Amino acid sequence: MAGRRIFGRLQHNPDLPAALLRPPEPAVQRTSLYPSVVASMTAKSKASRRRRIEGHYSRVNAQTDIGSKLKLITGLQRLKYVVYPQTFALNADRWYQHFTKTVYRPGLPVKGSGLEDEELGRLRSLLCEALLQDFYYAKKGRTFLYRSHEVSAAPFLTNAMAILRSQCAKHNPSLSQGALDVKPQVNFYWLRGETRVPRGHRKGCIDPIRFQVDDHPLVQLRVQKPLPEFVPLDHVVSEEVPFIPFEPSRLPLFKRQYENNIFIGAKLDTPCSYGHTQFHLVPDRFQRDRMEKLSLSDQIEVFLRANAIASLFAWTGAQAMYQGFWSQDDVTRPFVSQGVISDGKYFSFFCYQLNTLALAADADKNPNRKNICWGTQSVPLYEAIEEGDIKGFNDDVFRQLVDFFLNRPE
Amino acid sequence: MTLVRPGKVQPPDTVQFRISMEMTKFDVRNYLQSIYNVPVASVRTRIQFGSNRKRNHLLQRVKRPDYKVAYVQLAQGQTFQFPDLFPEKKDVIESGSFEEMQSEYMENEKQRQRNDPRRGGINDWFGL
Repeated sequence: MAGRRIFGRLQHNPDLPAALLRPPEPAVQRTSLYPSVVASMTAKSKASRRRRIEGHYSRVNAQTDIGSKLKLITGLQRLKYVVYPQTFALNADRWYQHFTKTVYRPGLPVKGSGLEDEELGRLRSLLCEALLQDFYYAKKGRTFLYRSHEVSAAPFLTNAMAILRSQCAKHNPSLSQGALDVKPQVNFYWLRGETRVPRGHRKGCIDPIRFQVDDHPLVQLRVQKPLPEFVPLDHVVSEEVPFIPFEPSRLPLFKRQYENNIFIGAKLDTPCSYGHTQFHLVPDRFQRDRMEKLSLSDQIEVFLRANAIASLFAWTGAQAMYQGFWSQDDVTRPFVSQGVISDGKYFSFFCYQLNTLALAADADKNPNRKNICWGTQSVPLYEAIEEGDIKGFNDDVFRQLVDFFLNRPE
Repeated sequence: MTLVRPGKVQPPDTVQFRISMEMTKFDVRNYLQSIYNVPVASVRTRIQFGSNRKRNHLLQRVKRPDYKVAYVQLAQGQTFQFPDLFPEKKDVIESGSFEEMQSEYMENEKQRQRNDPRRGGINDWFGL
């Protein structure tokens, strides 16, 4: 009878589902003659709760296989906030910075790598050809409402990625061994902050706030070796991460419950498990002229920043978790990825360096460790396309785009 | 359309209204922008279900009416805080006034009628 009761308690344990309790806790080296006095596993007390949580942590840390580790980390399903990188919410970038502990720095980290003008000119003509192909030569019919970005801009950006990757592979051999994903899935699940459960049978419990990003970049490039860090891990950033004292639902953000996913766009056994560059497409709903018509022209850059912070954090964080790091076992080396957000004409560039995964309330100890996102304002690649001729091609944007592809692992 | 105090704390640029069921978010935007010249960035609405739990003396269910709630986000960096309609009054009694003498008298009288604390709450008529 008592055994059944304890089993039932384990089943209805508010902190851990029964599935997580199955692998036994790793044995501790015992030095004293008697077993140490520990808190109960099943009682309703703070000490007991702490012991259950620590048991879970040690169980996760003891896993050597990354797949089972991720399974243990994402095993517990609860209501979580779904963060949409391309969001309609106003001023979302500051909120996303708070959720991901990211500081935003205008300007890109300096990188001095360049090609000769001859090579650049060849690349430029290839890119212009792709541009003209999708915006001028090919006859594109009418499409559905709010889906016109799928007609011209998306194929152009996909082609641009393919062209630049294949052409820059001469100067950057890691690209030829990399993997190119078209419309991949990128997922990330993390905990940040604490809240009180407002209702239900767990009312009053202190619960971590859970977040999930489900991102769909247009194309992404993965490589076998990590990109070099932009700043060292112990570099102290002077900017503060903005603190938002309100509930995330005030953004607004909505809660859903489904499987927690952590995914970089490829399965765990992929050799190309480090990110290089992501291309994101600005949907028609967030086109510049529409935002200006809605008198939201101040939100154009905010939208791009929020998109970059959420997407690049998710991707880079998932890469770090694929290497076995998680919030209780923080990263020992920074992880880096690059992102380009574009609507076919305007380009903005972002670099992300993941310095910490310890975002949960019980792990967030070191205030000096912050994730950093560098970014530029959006700049047009060209002025107009007239009669098969590109007017006002912006060489700086083009050079920056090529520089992203020339960034090579050490 | 009623401006209400938000039940949960809202960001400073968000204003909460209770609006009639027929109003849409576009109506709310037009209303605020055209009539009151308030710059509106976005409007979100939801319908709050009124509780159906209450019962009358015949045990019949009594429905509280549903209502629509609108959250309006202000543009141009404007903020709004719901005013404190009933601030707590601070009673300042002038020295030498009748009220002060009265309150002092009441205080003394209360002190006088209080039982001896050393008796530990035993009645004053009981004793040896």
